[in-house]
Amino acid sequence: MVMTYFEKYRDGRHKNWKDLWIIKPFIICMKVLFRTTIHRPVTVLYPYEKLWEPDNYRGRPGLDFNKCIGCGMCARMCPCAAIILVETPDDEGQPVMRPQVNMGRCSFCAYCAEYCPVDAMTVTPIVELAEFTRSDLIYGPRRLAYAGTTEGMKVPLKETLISDYKAGNKVMRDHASIDRPELEGAKCISCKKCSKVCPVNAITMVEHGVNAKGRPILWPEINSETCVSCSNCIDACPKSALSMKEVL
Amino acid sequence: MVDYVSIRDWINFPDPLSNPNYPFGDVYNLPYDISYKLWEIIGGTLAWLINLIFPGNPVSDWLVCAGAMNFFALIVFMILMFLVPFTGCLVSLWEERKVLGRAMDRRGTMIGLMGFLQCVADGFKTFMKEDIKIKEGDKMGFMWTCSLIIGTSVLIAIMIPLSPRWFVVNYGSGLLIIMALYALAPFFILVSGWSQNNKYAMIGGIRATEMMVSYEVPLLIIIATVALQAGTFNIGGIVDAQYDTMPYMIPQFIGFITFFLCATAESERAPFDLAEAESELVEGWQTEYAGMKWGLIMLADYLRGYVSCAMLVIMFWGGWNLPFIGDYNTWIPEIVFLLKCWLAFFFMIIFRCATGRVRTDTILNLGWKVFMPLAILNLMVVLALKVGGVC
Repeated sequence: MVMTYFEKYRDGRHKNWKDLWIIKPFIICMKVLFRTTIHRPVTVLYPYEKLWEPDNYRGRPGLDFNKCIGCGMCARMCPCAAIILVETPDDEGQPVMRPQVNMGRCSFCAYCAEYCPVDAMTVTPIVELAEFTRSDLIYGPRRLAYAGTTEGMKVPLKETLISDYKAGNKVMRDHASIDRPELEGAKCISCKKCSKVCPVNAITMVEHGVNAKGRPILWPEINSETCVSCSNCIDACPKSALSMKEVL
Repeated sequence: MVDYVSIRDWINFPDPLSNPNYPFGDVYNLPYDISYKLWEIIGGTLAWLINLIFPGNPVSDWLVCAGAMNFFALIVFMILMFLVPFTGCLVSLWEERKVLGRAMDRRGTMIGLMGFLQCVADGFKTFMKEDIKIKEGDKMGFMWTCSLIIGTSVLIAIMIPLSPRWFVVNYGSGLLIIMALYALAPFFILVSGWSQNNKYAMIGGIRATEMMVSYEVPLLIIIATVALQAGTFNIGGIVDAQYDTMPYMIPQFIGFITFFLCATAESERAPFDLAEAESELVEGWQTEYAGMKWGLIMLADYLRGYVSCAMLVIMFWGGWNLPFIGDYNTWIPEIVFLLKCWLAFFFMIIFRCATGRVRTDTILNLGWKVFMPLAILNLMVVLALKVGGVC
């Protein structure tokens, strides 16, 4: 019977005739229709209107070429493996290592800008990256430059350490200053590889006596002022004598 | 043999009613008149040109004789009669896109004449797409059902009279013929779904049949009710009867609502688009139709929507008449009719926006437990009015 359709309206919640079957959605649709006819719909007419973006809007990464030290932290932290280090001549013509970003892979997470120890890699509000070929999506170090970098586009990662938190000191520390490479002297074979790969020359080889053959034993000494905790030395160490330790 | 020298001797605009082959009896037919004059211009120019090259040839005389004039005028008439529902259906499509967009807090199509040209662009796009034919399955059934669905839809769309002077046929049982042809499509959909060798298509075809058995009976009862109140099955007669008394929406409001829902189901529009449920089945019975076949099927769908609205307007809204207007020939009744059609289509669009698709069991319950009693109730109301002598 017809009345079986009205049984669900006898639960006390539907007191209005407008709640009957399709009448309520019909009225709601008409309301939206008239409202959007008089006022404008929520749609943003994209090519002609653009939404306001904040300074730290995570568009494509931008690079300050001369600030960059080529430590490879961005390439190490990229979750999509979109960044590789390529050899590029700098302004004097000397070959240096700089990041190259493949925008076809980039997921706009801005980890590269967060982990960059010198804030050379920044976020930019550029999101219109359509190209005609796949190879055009590869942004070299020079092409990554962005002129209008503001202070808000630098997004350094701040961390609160668990030790700080337990001590009641909830200070936000710079990511590059909390970990330092530490040496186990027994494993070191004085090969000097760590000092060669350090991008900021923070490692000096210091003599620690002589070995059985009379050769000097050289141990790396890390200058914690200039070290950026990029862990290149740890990767380069053939004997795993270096490891990252929290220093604070 | 007249000595023709000027083009004006070939083009003289005779009265089409004086043509011995005039196909509409003694009723004035506006589209035929337009076609006749158009062919007078085209054929007269052709005859004049041929006569310039070959003076005194029989072809020129044949082109402007009464029989040939009637034949070519009928061809132009066919094209013209198709173009009107076609344009109306394009406008319906545009209206649906825009209104549905606004009702969903969007803008709808925007490119070209406020989005109207998007329909034309979609037509060209489907026209350029690859036309895939099925490898296994019933090829003949596949192609013929598609053609028949489109053909019957176009046929009923051009059979809708827009006014007493704009019609193709003027039968005494025009309403019945239109509804009979209108109810053919679900059979073709069933055969089409069966012939495609595809589970989705088959389920869509079975659903179309299931839907048909649920809404067809109340629909025909309401049509019979309207014919009963008007006393005729002639469309012009129904409209004139409403002009004499009142639009049938007022005494038959229940029937109007029910017919609106049944006509929505008949044209297979949401929320009754069970056969082509694009989010449950892939595309239902249209799954294997690619390219322009699909485009033509969509065109047929919208033509059926146009016919639904036209039947609604004819039966309940007084057709091409406006209330409180003395003589409807003083202005353009065709435009009034089309505007009323688009208004009905507007309500169909809002209905589509407001409701979700019915389930397969719900449509049966709805058809037999809701629409059917309402149709019978409407019939009883009309019977009471007729017996009481009110109308």
